[in-house]
Amino acid sequence: MIVVRQKPLDEICAMIAGHRSVLLVGCNTCAAVSLAGGETEVDTLLQLLRLTNKRHGMFIELSPAVLQRQCEPEYIECLQEGAYDAVLSLGCGAGVALLASTVGKPVYPALDTLFIGSAKGLARWQAECSACGQCVLGMTAGICPITRCAKGILNGPCGGVSDGTCELGDRPCAWVEIYERLDSLGCAKKFDTILAPKDNTTRQICEWDMSEGCDEK
Amino acid sequence: MAITHTNRSNQDDTRDGRLFAPCRARCPIHVDVPGYLAAIAEGRFMDALEIILARNPLPSVCGRVCLRPCEDGCRRCLLDEPVAIAALKRAAADTGVYPAPRLARRIPGRIAIVGGGPAGLTAAHDLAALGLSVSIYEDKPRLGGMLRYGIPNYRLPDYALDRDIEYVLSHGIEAHTGVRIGRDITIEELSAQYDAVLVTVGLQDSRALPIPGADKPRVLKALPFLEACANGESMDLGARVVVIGGGNVAMDVARAARRHHAKEVRVVCLESRDTMPAAAHEIHDAEMEGITVHCSWGPREITGENMVEGLRAVRCERVFDLERRFAPVFDEETVNEFAADTIIFAIGQGPDIDELGLPVTFRNSIMVDPVDLKTSVAGVYAAGDIINGPTKIIDAIASGHRAAASIFRDLTGHGDTLESLDQESAVLGRVPDTMAAKVETRRRIQMERLEHWDAILNFDEVELGYTEFEASREAQRCLSCTAGARLAVEKCASCLTCTRVCPHGAACLNMGGYLYFEVEACHACGACVSQCPAQAINLETVSEEDLSRRVQRKLADRGMDTSLVFSCGHVPDTLIEAGVDFRAVQVSCLLRVSERSVFEALEEGASRIVFTRCTEGDCRFPHAQDLVNKRIRHIRKMLSEAEMSEAFLVTTAPDEHFTTEVDTP
Amino acid sequence: MSLSNAFGAGRFAITSEVGPPKGTDVAEMLATAEMLRGRVDALNVTDNQAAVMRLSTLAACVHLKNAGFDPVLQVTCRDRNRLALQSDLLGAASFGITNVLALTGDHVSVGDHPSARAVFDLESVQLLEVIRLLSAGVDAAGKELHGSPEFLVGAVVTPEARPLRPQMAKFAKKVSAGASFFQTQAVYDPESFKRFMENARQFEVKVMVGVVVLRSAGMARFMNKNIPGILVPDSIIDALESSSDPQATGIELTARFIDEVRDYCDGVHIMAVGAEHLVFEVLDAAGLTEGCIA
Repeated sequence: MIVVRQKPLDEICAMIAGHRSVLLVGCNTCAAVSLAGGETEVDTLLQLLRLTNKRHGMFIELSPAVLQRQCEPEYIECLQEGAYDAVLSLGCGAGVALLASTVGKPVYPALDTLFIGSAKGLARWQAECSACGQCVLGMTAGICPITRCAKGILNGPCGGVSDGTCELGDRPCAWVEIYERLDSLGCAKKFDTILAPKDNTTRQICEWDMSEGCDEK
Repeated sequence: MAITHTNRSNQDDTRDGRLFAPCRARCPIHVDVPGYLAAIAEGRFMDALEIILARNPLPSVCGRVCLRPCEDGCRRCLLDEPVAIAALKRAAADTGVYPAPRLARRIPGRIAIVGGGPAGLTAAHDLAALGLSVSIYEDKPRLGGMLRYGIPNYRLPDYALDRDIEYVLSHGIEAHTGVRIGRDITIEELSAQYDAVLVTVGLQDSRALPIPGADKPRVLKALPFLEACANGESMDLGARVVVIGGGNVAMDVARAARRHHAKEVRVVCLESRDTMPAAAHEIHDAEMEGITVHCSWGPREITGENMVEGLRAVRCERVFDLERRFAPVFDEETVNEFAADTIIFAIGQGPDIDELGLPVTFRNSIMVDPVDLKTSVAGVYAAGDIINGPTKIIDAIASGHRAAASIFRDLTGHGDTLESLDQESAVLGRVPDTMAAKVETRRRIQMERLEHWDAILNFDEVELGYTEFEASREAQRCLSCTAGARLAVEKCASCLTCTRVCPHGAACLNMGGYLYFEVEACHACGACVSQCPAQAINLETVSEEDLSRRVQRKLADRGMDTSLVFSCGHVPDTLIEAGVDFRAVQVSCLLRVSERSVFEALEEGASRIVFTRCTEGDCRFPHAQDLVNKRIRHIRKMLSEAEMSEAFLVTTAPDEHFTTEVDTP
Repeated sequence: MSLSNAFGAGRFAITSEVGPPKGTDVAEMLATAEMLRGRVDALNVTDNQAAVMRLSTLAACVHLKNAGFDPVLQVTCRDRNRLALQSDLLGAASFGITNVLALTGDHVSVGDHPSARAVFDLESVQLLEVIRLLSAGVDAAGKELHGSPEFLVGAVVTPEARPLRPQMAKFAKKVSAGASFFQTQAVYDPESFKRFMENARQFEVKVMVGVVVLRSAGMARFMNKNIPGILVPDSIIDALESSSDPQATGIELTARFIDEVRDYCDGVHIMAVGAEHLVFEVLDAAGLTEGCIA
């Protein structure tokens, strides 16, 4: 799932300042699951913006909407034409982008998109994948060094690891974890393979058509 | 309504009214107990009263003297003790204001109801509310029947009864009191004047035993004695009174006798202590007032020359035979004589129906069809004890409802209400062990009452009722069975947050990966509701919209600088002492107050929001404290981003140390 | 003096390090180097050490080379992608710089430009492989070079890393990726270092033990707490604590340590961390006055 979090309020206020009427659009898929873009968060942000605008003597008409997924054109179609002159999206970057290309009005992001992650209990998520386009998890016991290692390096822990903790101090060392899991799975030998520098061309894929490569040349 | 005791926990059952909490299932009229307890838990006494009145037109009465079958079913019974449901009903009736009657459009149809007791009042209420014209004919000078003339004032004072009667009559019902059927007017005459006649005359004949000496002066019967008490007549009973009988009426009679200055009151009954029909708490109260109960004695003779000197009784060895038939066996050798100046029979009531001229059963009650309560005389119906024999007040009310539904069907052709009475329902199973382990045990709040030595001085009401604070605290003990989380599947984002916050594992995943709620395991703490991003979960009894409306109402007359306090009952004294202008909104847990509600209240014009948290030992949902603290931190963060930190205060009752900080996790 | 000569002659090699200035004035750096002239075989030049932006390591190496020193070019992967790394390596070779130390590098978050983008297009093992390719006359993309470098290639290892096993596994990778000498993270426990060397001796590589001169008990504690892979034993902290001249004690302890491990390894790398003037005092105390070519 794509994990998102709400931007600081002043940043949101600055974006929508000057508009008369703004539609807040939530996304009931990843953003809702991230507890940042569901109906609840749309309503909450709307109330807070109202309060803030009133305080600053501004009047912006705010109305709420929630789409099943902002990254699907068909779901956006059900967004009703309205008097709003801008959209504040509580979706991930993909949602904002597709809305922006569809609604013909300025679209602003209310959220920052953090990572592709897994749930780690109540309202906590773990970054698991950076969508690098060239998965190495098979070599690393399912722990992504690109994502979980601060430096994204591929051949073992750097010198910054201290008691199994990353030099950034905010996480366990991914490579220590990889080594330990490989070891516990009885395949520590995999660690000895030197992984070549990453092929970064996969990061440049900006459109994927499944039929690509299927056609006979 | 038929109740099947199966463990079905599909939420759709609760939605369709097919799954009842045991309290509701055991109530013969299925009052929405969890619903009104939830309202009281939030201090919404008016709402609670309206919920009760939707099914029970006599809340003030039942709040005091109902035999409360609901409490026996309470799912807290196995945890600590049942919620004080009846006392809370009384709190709703005493504190709430009776609403204006909701009357349907007038429709043609006139109904005469003979007898102004609970069954008659209930039927009158229902029929009048449905738009029919109703007249009550009552033999006694005032309405109420046994409620007024059979139950002593120290249990049910007139003012409490009159509140309910006034409410019933406010539906536009005519009452003719002092009219005796058979003497002043006959059933046939009524039948000619009205479209339907309902007979709810109850059991007016107080029974006595044909033993030697029973014809002496100062040998009394329960009902005339109680009626005299109700009329405030003063009586000289002498110093020693023996009451014969082992039921609730015997207890009432004994306690009433005590209030007529009898020094020594004995209750002598046939049954053993274990099989006495009187409710345990009634016996207990009687004994506390100095009454002695003598079990397993069969009266043989009332002794004395001219005046009563005593009761001679023999040992009763067994009351019922193996087939539960009444067949007492006595040991004539074991004799006891109970000295007495007055003897009062309280061994039951029977019908007094000769003058009615209606066909009767072999049990000497009016013969009716059990479903529609029609007698064999066209247009004449009967309900209450006159058809059922001696039952509880709440059974009489149920019978009144049935009669009204039947009459309404026959007059209008609409049989839905009558049919719904026989709809099948399932009842919620017991509290799962996993949940029981986590629910805080909390004893019932004891109601203030007159001390026993003061109580016997007069007929003043003994139980003094809950304060509003006590009532909401007691109501917060309710587990809100069947009134918990409801999932709107179509809105669910499948984030699983509910499964992670639920302390009892009520939010579950089925094999297909879809969420559902285990009704047995939910006690409506609202943790999942407050955390759900998709607003896909609701509680049966409270909604965010309700809270918004309450906030709006509270702030309608706000001043220039008005604070809004959210709390689960406590209102900080410091605010009152400081003369701060504030409005308080009570919720059963601060968990129910979302970020949105706070911002909305500020936008609504409150200058600041105060959260008054309860302390850990005081908290209804201990697991919620962490979540509440997180919520508080989140609100703080958001308001500080909006440069409005000063608009949000948090205090912990009863310390009342205001802070803009919150405990670190 | 040169590191390759020392290794070639089987001498106990001595290196220290200098940090390029933050700015263009290299006088102080050269003056520091001057203090060590004749006492060390080579001088490491740090590469934006601790992710703090400074004059480029390549430029500093050129200055030192011109002044007659044998610099060790430290190359980290933090700031340059594989193109920039290769072109700088070729540039270094073109100036006659022959010693390279390949490192992954500290993360930008710990330095003075914490919001910069951390590159890490390669890391130390991959960098070592790229250097081997360059030395073989091709670049990382397999394209042939016109003129190829000849480097003495080094890497680093932390003998007391916790946990140790992944560190040792990576050490092996570095060896197989072409590192021929290693400088270690600072070590204080001779026994622990000897154990490490028993393991390291299975590889045909030169190992120079790393030392940092402790100047006070506070410094020791700070390093224990903040520098990954450093473990100052309590006995040393106690000795410093109870000493009336902790700096002298620190020098003495360092010298004693070097003396104790010198037969187990191939050289010593003395990290001055801002106190280069102490380096020759340590060397004196350790009796490392001979062997170095002036």
